[in-house]
Amino acid sequence: MVNNQALSPAATSVEYVLDAVNAVAAYGSKTILHQLNLHIRPGEIYALLGANGAGKTTTLSLFLGFLAPQSGSIRVNGIDPGTHPAEARKQFAYIPENVALYEHLTARENVEYLLDLAGQRETADTIANSLAAAGLAPAAFDRRVSGFSKGMRQKVAIGLALARKVPALLLDEPTSGLDPQATTEFNRLLSLLRQQNVAILMVTHDLLSAADVADRIGFLEAGRLVEEVAAEGQDRFDVRLLHRRYAGQA
Amino acid sequence: MSTGNQMSKSHHMSWITHELKLLQRAYLSILALLLLLALSGLAVWSGLQEIRHQQTTIARLAPLQAEDLAAVAHTYADAPDAGYPAYYTFYSTWDAPSDAAFLAIGTRDSAPYVLRVRALGLQAQLYEGEIFNPELALPGRFDFAFVLIYLTPLFIIALMHDLISGEQQTGRLRLLASLPQGRQVWFRRTSLRFMLVLLSLIIPVLLGAVYADTSPGALAVILAVIASYVAFWFGLSLLLIVRGWRSVTNATALMSVWVLLTLVLPTLANVAILRAVPVHQGVDLMLAQRQAVHGAWEVPREDTMQRFYAHYPEWSNSAPLPQVFHWKWYFAFHQLGDESVAPQAQAYRAGLLQRQEWSNRLGWLLPGVAAQAILHRIADTDLLAQLAYQDQIATSTAR
Repeated sequence: MVNNQALSPAATSVEYVLDAVNAVAAYGSKTILHQLNLHIRPGEIYALLGANGAGKTTTLSLFLGFLAPQSGSIRVNGIDPGTHPAEARKQFAYIPENVALYEHLTARENVEYLLDLAGQRETADTIANSLAAAGLAPAAFDRRVSGFSKGMRQKVAIGLALARKVPALLLDEPTSGLDPQATTEFNRLLSLLRQQNVAILMVTHDLLSAADVADRIGFLEAGRLVEEVAAEGQDRFDVRLLHRRYAGQA
Repeated sequence: MSTGNQMSKSHHMSWITHELKLLQRAYLSILALLLLLALSGLAVWSGLQEIRHQQTTIARLAPLQAEDLAAVAHTYADAPDAGYPAYYTFYSTWDAPSDAAFLAIGTRDSAPYVLRVRALGLQAQLYEGEIFNPELALPGRFDFAFVLIYLTPLFIIALMHDLISGEQQTGRLRLLASLPQGRQVWFRRTSLRFMLVLLSLIIPVLLGAVYADTSPGALAVILAVIASYVAFWFGLSLLLIVRGWRSVTNATALMSVWVLLTLVLPTLANVAILRAVPVHQGVDLMLAQRQAVHGAWEVPREDTMQRFYAHYPEWSNSAPLPQVFHWKWYFAFHQLGDESVAPQAQAYRAGLLQRQEWSNRLGWLLPGVAAQAILHRIADTDLLAQLAYQDQIATSTAR
């Protein structure tokens, strides 16, 4: 049996786990993000949509600490990733678009190794629990990941995030390349993490997946967050409206 | 407190285990390390064989020398004067190898370590072979110094060139960089590779040192040289691979630096030193001495003896020369022939030492030259060792 409780992150005291206030980001003289204000609460899934070059990946890079804002502030669970990168990185897990793992290691060995690089050691039980909670079949735990599909690799990455018990999750195009069944399964995992109070920021092109799982959807246009829509009622979002909005922008 | 230490130790062990696991499945890296171990072992074995061969040759000299002396004594027992046995007697001299010579053969490969000399003009006998600086004699014999200086950097380049770019190309770099200790991974992997390269080099050296009974002091210096040289190449590799270039660019840049530091610059420096410090060839000295000696046959004998007595007044009261050939005159003009080239011999020696000094200075810029110079010094196989051997011969001949 999977012990989800044991995988829950510690309770956080800040209002916004992922917090950007008037953040301006630039590469050289080219400004990519203008006065970005983005606030994501514990247990909230935020989908950031935008055309290519709108600034989605740059937004992630700010939270990852790969890029420092020219002005404004970025906080991850209250920590500035620019000045305290190692401390800030303890607060989030990051899943890139293509989850590249060590091909000749097994799923379990990959999680164990990457946990070690996160400065964490977990028991074999915890690792198995987290992989199971991520939806990976136990028979795959000790198989080399070289034969894994993209969906299975993502489950390993989610397993890693669960084992790390971090308060925030950053996702880069998580459903790109996944079939509808795998996307549904992935969204189920995100819902599981939401229940555990993890703040999730996903940058995506996948409007349907975002509408399915996100609590709020933000539209980035030429580096500006031009609109935010929150889920409401049982239907959550008016997908046709969202599509019109997105298509019009894209 | 002790729990903390244990945890830290256990974490320390854990990263080594993890990185070893990753490395052991990178078959090319393992192959490279095994090849380096094999080359290092082969070089040490070959050095030990060469030194054993030299030792065997030297060991055969004493009984042969005794046989030689007995034969000459027997043949010239009834000779009218001592000149006959003195002329026909050869004395064997040898330069016994040091206990570390097997690691860096140096000049022992090209300059004689055994010389049979007679009580005649010494200079001609000394300079029948040439002397050179082993640091600048590219790349020379296959010994451990060669493996360390020339081949090891290539293995380090093979192990390091894609350390970061490989992660970039497989798409793991951002994931690794997003982890709290993700950036330590380069330090970990470099340290592990450094330790494994060091072990591949040091294990054969230690085994060879036990076999050759190398002194702990010499061994400590040799190990320090190996560690420093390997550390230099790892440091240099790290400096280049953190720049974010592709693997092929890293490899090309590192190979270019290798060619420059181990081949091109030492060669150019050698040419520059040879031009800056011109030294006559040893063979010129030998010819000059022989010409002086041969010319002496045409000089009136009394003149030769006058010159000889002027240099060696202690012999001036000896009996006058008879009308016929006498060995005293023969040995005297040989001695004068030697003295006639003394200034050239001094200049030759000074020139060689000056070249050596310059090549030592070069070591401050070229780590390979420095490492090689130190290894040859410790192994007693450099120019200084060769000159010291000549000094020993000269001192014994003078006696």
